[in-house]
Amino acid sequence: MRNINFGYGISRPRAIDIDNNDLRKSNAIIAEMPELQACIGCGSCTASCTAGNLTEFNFRRLHTAVRRGEYKGAYEDINKCMLCGKCRLVCPRGINTRALIMLIKRKLGDF
Amino acid sequence: MTFFAPFTIPFIIGTIFLFAAVATKFVLWLVRLPRVDKRLIRHNLFTWHTLAAVWEVVRESLLHVRIFKVNPVLGFMHASLAFGWFLLIVVGWIETVAYLGAQWVPLQGHVFFKYFMPINGITHHEPLFEQLMDALLLVVLTGVALAWMKRLRSRFMGMRRTTKHILFDRVALSALWFIFPARLIAESLTAALYGGEGFLTGSLGHALAETVPHDLLVMFYEPSWWVYSSLLGIFFVAMPFSRYMHILAEIPLIFLRHWKLHPTAERKSYDRFEVEACSRCGICIDPCQLQSELGINDVQSVYFLRDRRYNMLNLKVANNCLMCGRCEAKCPVGINLNTLRLNSRAKRRNIPYEGRYKYLRGLDRSSGEGRVGYFAGCMTSLTPATQHSMEQIFKAVGEDVWFADRDGGVCCGRPLMLTGETDAARKMVAYNTDLFRRHNITTLVTSCPICLRVFREHYRLDGIEVLHHSEYIDRLITEGRLSVAADARRYTYHDPCELGRGCGIYDAPRRVIAAVGEVVEPKHSRRDALCCGSSLANTVIDDSQQLRLGERMTAELEATGCDTIVTSCPLCMKAINRAARCSVEDISEVVAKNILRS
Repeated sequence: MRNINFGYGISRPRAIDIDNNDLRKSNAIIAEMPELQACIGCGSCTASCTAGNLTEFNFRRLHTAVRRGEYKGAYEDINKCMLCGKCRLVCPRGINTRALIMLIKRKLGDF
Repeated sequence: MTFFAPFTIPFIIGTIFLFAAVATKFVLWLVRLPRVDKRLIRHNLFTWHTLAAVWEVVRESLLHVRIFKVNPVLGFMHASLAFGWFLLIVVGWIETVAYLGAQWVPLQGHVFFKYFMPINGITHHEPLFEQLMDALLLVVLTGVALAWMKRLRSRFMGMRRTTKHILFDRVALSALWFIFPARLIAESLTAALYGGEGFLTGSLGHALAETVPHDLLVMFYEPSWWVYSSLLGIFFVAMPFSRYMHILAEIPLIFLRHWKLHPTAERKSYDRFEVEACSRCGICIDPCQLQSELGINDVQSVYFLRDRRYNMLNLKVANNCLMCGRCEAKCPVGINLNTLRLNSRAKRRNIPYEGRYKYLRGLDRSSGEGRVGYFAGCMTSLTPATQHSMEQIFKAVGEDVWFADRDGGVCCGRPLMLTGETDAARKMVAYNTDLFRRHNITTLVTSCPICLRVFREHYRLDGIEVLHHSEYIDRLITEGRLSVAADARRYTYHDPCELGRGCGIYDAPRRVIAAVGEVVEPKHSRRDALCCGSSLANTVIDDSQQLRLGERMTAELEATGCDTIVTSCPLCMKAINRAARCSVEDISEVVAKNILRS
């Protein structure tokens, strides 16, 4: 069983204290793209991801972390994305994921 | 002979200002051209390209042949204004020569010749020229009348919508509208007081002389020439800053184009010629599906170019475009609208991040051996039937195939380019080029028109022939390597934007389908085909808007009464599938189902 690649894995359990996180950027992202709140966390974006197939890049984990105000390493991580747009096609909630990626990059990066 | 009167001052000031402003613009833009472009100009200046450009200037800047082809009434309006006015100037010049012989006459002397005739004591008339000038004035006035009509109701001119203008345009537009009526009045008053033989100004003058008291005519005589001269002056001053700059900017643009200059992914001063050559005619508004289906009214190419020209472009306008190329196909000036929009995006978004895509180093997930490479493309992995059908076809013809991305490949880079990140895309271009070279392929087949376009336009793949799978299958069938059974189905083919308008491939897919069944054409097809709405180029419209575009377009395909909708782009396929009631297949599926096994 261990060697079968399902395209996803199980994250290690950890505690997140949202009260300690700075949510300003996260709130700004959600204010600009409220549709992100429609995400049901199904992980289709990650399962279909071209970059995720080649690296450890996990878009569902990334945008969930960013929404919680955990920005560490997110900018470097999101730059693995090739913007191919498959995630937008498979998203069952019709979220404009490419625009979301560009928005996160703009808010977290230096430009 | 005197050729000066106080009323000519507005005209003289306007003219001097116009020439100074335009000359400054052109010189600055030319000086700032990149070195490569300057070399191209030097190289092509004294060749037949220049002659071809002169001919095109006559056809396009004066006669407006391309507008005629899109919309004959609109073409007549533009030609009557442009060519009519041009002839008024030229014939006016000859007229003064006819009266005075070859002597130097200042510019205002030519333009206001009718005014200067009586003060210089010229009382005889040259009826031929007077009739000719009146006829030309009538032609221009017809154009002006049509322009008024277009403003009042654009549908009279066969346009659903016309452009909304900014203040400078409105000033220039109003001045232009009244220049020729003012000229008619001024020349008629002159004819009423001093006589004239033209059928228009002469007759109107006689009628005025009979009905209006003489001292009233004298009272209005000077002011009427003041109005005409002032309107010309206002128009000339507003011209370099308004849409009417296109009259002058189009001429150098045509020459530069013939000297092989073109816009690139990076902005350069050449773009200014293209941007200012836009006349804001608004022909690009009607083909835009964002306008017709979604009611988005401020992003069309005409508004994009306007915003860019006056430095008020925002990201939302730059990004809200499907880049389907429907407007570019219709643009009478032939502006490279998509390239300009792309390099606007690049200016705003292209900040390369050094550590980006380090993971590409040493990556190779390809499989198989063969001279033919198959690059399915990212999107095709979401339409596995296409990939499977291609494998069946390869097997049926016994082709040895190297699969570039069956187990996960690297994106072609075009999606990044479409969002303006050209520098980041270069890493992908380099990676894939290296991969193709390393596996020594001679033919590269791809199922995705988006990849196809970037392979052809941005990759340096000398020695490797790049084919779309529809072209590849077409070749297999015509060469007799693959035989297919005909069935009784009716197929409608949807032209993907990137394949059709992007790469000019219209016939190969149709030949392939015709080998299997009957091809029925939808209302909009080939160069005029609609976009499915799922284009990667647009990151602004949301899912429901994409769906609406897809539904309208699919409804048109289904209206042909076909059994199956065929397309050759995985992205279009996904979009049509969401909305279609009949079956939807990729061209490779249609073929794979009908392979005749020998």
